[in-house]
Amino acid sequence: MVGEAAELLQMANPVPSACCMVLAVVVVVYAQRHSQQESHIQYERVGADVTMKCGSMDWDAAVTWTANGTDIDESHLNGSYLILKKVDLTQSGQYSCYEGSSWHLKYQTYLRVGTPPREPVLMCRSNNYPKGFYCSWHLPTPTYIPNSFNISVIHGTREMVCEKDVFPKNRCHIRYLQLFSTVKYKVTLTVTNALGKNSTTVTFDEFAIVKPDPPESVVAKPVPNNPRRLEVSWQNPSSWPDPESFPLKFFLRYRPLILDQWQHVELSDGTSHTITDAYAGKEYIIQVAAKDNDIGTWSDWSVAVHATPWTEEPKHLTTEAQVTETTSASTSSFMPPPTTKICDKGAVVGSGAVAVCWTAGLVLAAYGVLFI
Amino acid sequence: MAAADSSSAALRRRDLCSRGIRLAGKMRSDVIDLLDTYVERQGLDASASVAVVEGVPMAAVEHWDEQTGTQRLLENLAAYRAFRALLAQMLEEQQEQLGEADAALGQALAAVLLQVSAFAYHLEELLRLESRGPPSEEGAGPPPPSHLGLFERKLWGLGVLRELAQWAVRSARDLRQLTKPSPGSSLAPSPAESP
Repeated sequence: MVGEAAELLQMANPVPSACCMVLAVVVVVYAQRHSQQESHIQYERVGADVTMKCGSMDWDAAVTWTANGTDIDESHLNGSYLILKKVDLTQSGQYSCYEGSSWHLKYQTYLRVGTPPREPVLMCRSNNYPKGFYCSWHLPTPTYIPNSFNISVIHGTREMVCEKDVFPKNRCHIRYLQLFSTVKYKVTLTVTNALGKNSTTVTFDEFAIVKPDPPESVVAKPVPNNPRRLEVSWQNPSSWPDPESFPLKFFLRYRPLILDQWQHVELSDGTSHTITDAYAGKEYIIQVAAKDNDIGTWSDWSVAVHATPWTEEPKHLTTEAQVTETTSASTSSFMPPPTTKICDKGAVVGSGAVAVCWTAGLVLAAYGVLFI
Repeated sequence: MAAADSSSAALRRRDLCSRGIRLAGKMRSDVIDLLDTYVERQGLDASASVAVVEGVPMAAVEHWDEQTGTQRLLENLAAYRAFRALLAQMLEEQQEQLGEADAALGQALAAVLLQVSAFAYHLEELLRLESRGPPSEEGAGPPPPSHLGLFERKLWGLGVLRELAQWAVRSARDLRQLTKPSPGSSLAPSPAESP
């Protein structure tokens, strides 16, 4: 029996290796065909009518189409062609066509429904003057398909390089080659996708786009023994490279939380200010903005800080010492102060503590007798 | 004695720089107002583009942060001497063309001309403090653009005032650099500079 099995195995040896080779070839070919087909992408506009042909199949061939693996009803077919009327975004996906009887994959595409780009929104700003400026952009509405952006910056006759930031991706920065120029900068952004392109241009002076970041580390503190004062301090934005040569001026605004109207103070130098007209006891909200001394526009407001002016502590509790002093100075009969509960069991913990408590009471009573 | 002189010179320089910075700021503010008046009176479009203006010193500069203190003073002085001549010319032409009919523009031009002269004086004083002395003036100034028509002369005037406004900003920055204790504020002449 074993011998017969061994003979069968010997006879069978050549077959497995041949089978493996054939299987391997089939797998490779299948993978190659699928990878080529999966890489095919078709972009169509929202609302367009789309016709897909099943590769090289004849019009009258029997085929089956699927969308994302689900069979498509024959009502969408014209012969072997797939007809999609007024496509919408939900119809994006993988479309495959199989030969009717053999189920061979004959064609495959990835349909991406989208829109051509609308005019992009572009803005440029210098928050680190005089080093340079940056431009950032976005699309007013999404296209739902990939877009590429190209930006050009021209100053007079010179084309400048705008280096794209790694993050965020929709931003690039330019180093100033010249300062104090009256020649305007012209920046053009072109956005392109598979369905179209659009562009926008902005033109500006060197000075006009200077806008610092808001001041940092804003702190507001009450001033001891001053119920109407608040001391506010802040720092230059860290992005402003040379505040000594390019000093900033500041705008401070403050209001009590209970009111809507702001008070404003403009400060030409220094990074601190004392508010002297605060309402006593009211919580205030305070913000600061910055601007280059000579050019550009005000920054956004800083993060808001809150502070309440100093108030005197209310004297609603008398201490044991005060009771002792009152008793020692009094010539009338001893009367324990109503707020003092020397032997309040709720305030004292433990039997030992209770004993001390009663002892203190006796001592006080003795004092009272002595000074009647 | 030498130390006292040096200290006195340093104080004087700081004082001149501070006053110069304030003057530059006031000058820029007045030039901006003058620009509005000029554009209105001359019937120009405020956003009109003006090509390179003949005979007008350009404030635009490359490698500004690398300039020495002496370079800054010399370039500023040359510019304000030129503007002094240019504004005098504009004032004369304005009085010839419009005369008493537009006293406001004439007064504004005259006021800015005075500030430009005062600023030039500040710069000369700063150069004297460095034992360098200001360079002598090269005659009456740049030749008038006689080949220009009336409209072109108006645009030319617009270009002069715009460039002056840029210089006022640059000058304030230059003087602040001079007050900084850094290589950029050094007033030692570079080897390339002629005495």
